[in-house]
Amino acid sequence: MLGLIQYPARLLRATRRQTAALALPDRRDLEAIGLHLLLVGSVLLIVFPILVAAIVSTKQTGIVTSLADLAPGGHVVENYRTVLVDYQFGRFMLNSFLMATVIVIGKLALSIFAATAIVYYDLPYKDLLFLFILFTLLLPVPVRFIPLFQLVADMGWTNSMLAITVPYLASATTVFILRQHFLSIPSSIVETAKLDGVGPLKFMAFVLLPMSKGILVGVSVIMFVFAWNQYLWPLVIINAEADQVAQVGLALLEGDVVGGEVSWSLVMAGSMLTLLPPLLLLILFRKPLLQAFVIQQK
Amino acid sequence: MSSREIYTDRRTAGLLLLPTILVSLVFLYYPAARAARRALYSSQLGLDDEFVGFENFAELLTSGGYRSRLLLTVGFAAVVVAGVMAVALLLTFLVHEVGTGKSIYLVAAIWPYALPPAVAALVFIFLVHPTLGVLSGPLATLGVDLDWFADGRQAFVVVTVAAIWKQIGYNVIFMIASMNNIPETLTETARLDGVGRLRRLLWVYVPIMTPTLFFLVILNTIYAFFGTFAFIDIMTGGGPSGATNILIFDLYQEAFDFFNWGLASAKSVVLFAVVGVLMYVQFRLTDKYSHYGA
Amino acid sequence: MGSDEPYDRCVSRRRALKGAGAAVTAGVVGLSGCVGDDGGDSGSGGVDPLADELTVWHAMGGQLGETLDQIAADFQDETDIEVTMQFQDSYEDVLQNTISGFDSGEMADMLQVDSLFAQQVLDTGEIRPVENILPDDFDTDDFLDNVTDFFVIDDELASMPFNNSNAIMYINRDAFAEAGLDPDDPPSTIADVRAASETLVGEGVTDYGITWPNHVWFVEHWYSLEGELMTDAENGHAGDPSQFRAPDAVTDLYDWWQGMEEDGLYTNPGIEAWGEATSLFVEGNCAMLLTSTASVAGLIADSEFEVDAVPYPTISETRVGPVIGGASFYVPEGFSEDRYDEIGQLLEFMADPSVQVDWHKGTGYYPITESSLEELRSENWFEENPNYETALNQLRNGDASDPATKRILLGPARQVQTTVQDQSVDIIGSSDLEGSIDDMQEQATAELEDYYG
Repeated sequence: MLGLIQYPARLLRATRRQTAALALPDRRDLEAIGLHLLLVGSVLLIVFPILVAAIVSTKQTGIVTSLADLAPGGHVVENYRTVLVDYQFGRFMLNSFLMATVIVIGKLALSIFAATAIVYYDLPYKDLLFLFILFTLLLPVPVRFIPLFQLVADMGWTNSMLAITVPYLASATTVFILRQHFLSIPSSIVETAKLDGVGPLKFMAFVLLPMSKGILVGVSVIMFVFAWNQYLWPLVIINAEADQVAQVGLALLEGDVVGGEVSWSLVMAGSMLTLLPPLLLLILFRKPLLQAFVIQQK
Repeated sequence: MSSREIYTDRRTAGLLLLPTILVSLVFLYYPAARAARRALYSSQLGLDDEFVGFENFAELLTSGGYRSRLLLTVGFAAVVVAGVMAVALLLTFLVHEVGTGKSIYLVAAIWPYALPPAVAALVFIFLVHPTLGVLSGPLATLGVDLDWFADGRQAFVVVTVAAIWKQIGYNVIFMIASMNNIPETLTETARLDGVGRLRRLLWVYVPIMTPTLFFLVILNTIYAFFGTFAFIDIMTGGGPSGATNILIFDLYQEAFDFFNWGLASAKSVVLFAVVGVLMYVQFRLTDKYSHYGA
Repeated sequence: MGSDEPYDRCVSRRRALKGAGAAVTAGVVGLSGCVGDDGGDSGSGGVDPLADELTVWHAMGGQLGETLDQIAADFQDETDIEVTMQFQDSYEDVLQNTISGFDSGEMADMLQVDSLFAQQVLDTGEIRPVENILPDDFDTDDFLDNVTDFFVIDDELASMPFNNSNAIMYINRDAFAEAGLDPDDPPSTIADVRAASETLVGEGVTDYGITWPNHVWFVEHWYSLEGELMTDAENGHAGDPSQFRAPDAVTDLYDWWQGMEEDGLYTNPGIEAWGEATSLFVEGNCAMLLTSTASVAGLIADSEFEVDAVPYPTISETRVGPVIGGASFYVPEGFSEDRYDEIGQLLEFMADPSVQVDWHKGTGYYPITESSLEELRSENWFEENPNYETALNQLRNGDASDPATKRILLGPARQVQTTVQDQSVDIIGSSDLEGSIDDMQEQATAELEDYYG
């Protein structure tokens, strides 16, 4: 750590000579305006595609072919009503919300346990164990979804909340992030706990969790977005109409477009609706989300 | 043994690890292994399977087409990872530097990340369809003639841009925390010394952020290899002339369009191996820096 | 129907995909579970129905799907046999679910298979020809010759033709008139199309002359109208094919196509981009569109200009006949005989003239039996709706006895399709036209050898 700070410091001295103070009195103001302009520009670029989608969702058929077509259309109410009522998006979104919430809570618990064991226990083959968890990153649903289906069906979980949550509960990313965070908690605190003879459960509840509030919230938001956007697996394993999730509802809308009805507007209205919950979470929890993920070295 | 390893009761440790290991084994490793086993069989249409040993692998390794797809995928991943991180780093830096409105800019910049990939791909088609796209007209006046249904290089660029765009937010989330965590004193010193902003970013901040950046390299690599499927599937179908035929799409097509289960399984094993090796190398590098760099 | 109709479709789609998953799974399991016995699929032949009621997997979205649901409801009223129509999103998904379903052992009772994928389904060896299911008094001679020519396999009606179509050309009459072209004398060859396109673009009426989705079906039409086979063994109808053909006419075709592209007279909407191609026509970017006759109702409704449906443009003056398109219903082997009795009744119902007449009017797919044709004629339907007759005439004027008009019937149809579509883009962008056509031919031939060899 020290070396890394010293390294740039040495460079600092070198650059100082080259950039001798040019500072004009109002340079900072000018720079601030420049910064804002740059940011507004970049943010617009990033948001533009979604703005287009939002505009499409207000049109009748949703064909937009030029910038001139980007005036909002007058079909907001009926498009969103169609999607929410006729296509049952309200219900799908509720199901998605339940699924995502269960996944977030379960993942969080399992990952806290695992990371605690990895960081605070003296274990053999710890690196291998950690790699074992990390390598699950290489096994996304499409690679294994066929045998997975058979397995879950054999367990009799088809159509249940278990089927769309339990297989997600092991999380390499969350374990990794928590591990890094736990490693950054000063060892003095840990040693105090040891001297006081605090047991592992108490240690988790009264030392680790309070010191990890921010990161737990942040990582929960990320897990929520991940769970919310799951499509292929719920599509395959859920077949009771009442239990389906929003992403599958979206695919249904797209299927209609392919089927000959040019209703891009409905597809985009559905997209906007499914985007709302994750977006709300991003806004509500922006603070912990944006402050928590400090990944430090060992 | 580090000073953090304050507990030695292996049974408790086992209990804590058990749920994660169990779920990983049962729902991740076991199905993957079962799929991999099929790579040793020749099966068309999923009906008559015949044990062929490593024939499927031999076919892949001797196929010029597959080798070039492998190279293409590695190139694609490199561009996506580098592109995402460069853009996200600059954006994060701008937000870090700006005085007011930080959180508005941040939320605006990261929310495309919440969009499902399939929707993101569809939206991109609206934008840059060569004849129907909203932007094809304005781009033409700028001298850019969109022709990515026929022009492989353009198709590669379009898909790459879409893939990068989608992943920026995720990176910004991690980078901003890391950048905000840099001691203010260091920033002040640099300022007082009149170090330009860009230099400060590259020579002061980036080295301190290495652990975060390494972590993101790994996650972005996984994303580039696996998470970009929807863009290829919806936007280019792997074409033109295979210019965007990355391994995950190729694998999907083999399995679900051509029904060559055996060959498709072999492809998924190769893909696993390639990304596994890459990830392992990245980890070794991270470790090296973390352990011995300081 | 009403407002909960899309909901039903949603359900069905899911179930179908579930079937797919199960199927694929079973394949894998068959493998891992039975390594000792060659990994053979132990469930082979033992197919169970998906549900108590009859289920039909289909690919008819939107309005067409609603029409199918209505047919099911009418059938139920008449016979008390329950039927669920399950929308599967696309023909590709029906195919996936079908192939997978045979593995999993759970199958729908009727599968709407795109004619392009017919051989892939037949090759499973688990299909019961509908001729053995239909009631004994059912008259298979009532089908139009051109229709049965494709669907009769080994002298038996293998599947029940239902929604059949061919490709035709739609023209924007208003744009033609504005450019000084005579909309009553539409282009009939590709050379005419080029001439008309030059005028349309030259006069600044439209951005491009013509567009069509990049789909193998259009190339197939050009082959068959020219009387050329796409593969040996009569496009797969007379044994195993081993050779993809690229006769001189095909060079002429691509030469024209390339010229149209280079001169900005044609625009590529994308691979299998049916929706985009239609949008280009409806939005007035192109004054000519090649697409299915099944679009006739929608195109006339969506366009703010007058639309004419005219015959497909040919490469030369030769006009042998179009290939068939659309789909037919297959029935799996392995159910109880009582069940086949019910399925037979449903099949018969769907071929009934009154059902066929309604289907044709609502969709634009042509009627497939002589008796339904007679009924339409007796109502003067075609006089009042001439655009609905274009495809039918094109079919009836075709020479059904020429093997070239039989659509390709290939095991690796999806591979050949992908090859032709991908390579077409390469060819029109190539500086070495002949060489690129050779590449396509070699690659498609290799696909055939891979499969049949």
